Amino acid sequence: MEESEDVPKDFVKLKSEKLSVDEVSELVVSPYCGAVSLFIGTTRNNFEGKKVIHLEYEAYTSMAETEIKKICRNVRQKWPSVKHIAVHHRLGVVPITEASVIIAVSSPHRAESLEAVMYCINTLKASVPIWKKEIYEEEYSWKENKECFWANSEK
Amino acid sequence: QVSVLYFARSAELAGLRCETLSVPREITSLQLWEEIVKVHPRLAVIRDQVIFAVRQEYVLLGDQLLVLQPGDEVAIIPPISGG
Repeated sequence: MEESEDVPKDFVKLKSEKLSVDEVSELVVSPYCGAVSLFIGTTRNNFEGKKVIHLEYEAYTSMAETEIKKICRNVRQKWPSVKHIAVHHRLGVVPITEASVIIAVSSPHRAESLEAVMYCINTLKASVPIWKKEIYEEEYSWKENKECFWANSEK
Repeated sequence: QVSVLYFARSAELAGLRCETLSVPREITSLQLWEEIVKVHPRLAVIRDQVIFAVRQEYVLLGDQLLVLQPGDEVAIIPPISGG
């Protein structure tokens, strides 16, 4: 590990393979940081009484990466002590209980990384062009985040 | 001529993910929507839920005047559900 070169970095990846918590947290670990905070979004097996078989994600990939990088820039403005940020989002089929998104943030002390992780996931849900389809036994449904900044929340 | 990208429910309704369309260089976002619905009438049902992304910037459907260049990417963005 090059201790002299710990320049803050953003690691943004959209991929169809299974996500790894170890991999994402190792990206942000730093000798200057006493805290790494993590969020893992996992797939639930039910929605409104219906059994969910699996989820399928699609993305406007180039814009999604750009929007996530904008979120990282905003994080650094709000919490300047944040060191590294990693956001990995899975695309394609995600089986139940597997992770669809992992966000990790490192900072010298814990308050900033905890707050930054929460900000990242909340803002991702409001503004990043990624869509989730829930597959049930007899049908499917395109989900809509209530955070989505332009859609009606009454459904 | 712009590239129109369709995602999620809009791709299902339009029956495709991407195509080239000829539209006026200056056009409001609402007029652009109406041009697209002429080609894919089934999209009309989601009019109140979608926005555009023009050159990867979000644009609401309305009076905003767009100045389009040939080859610009215009994406139909249904309500998102990432995370």
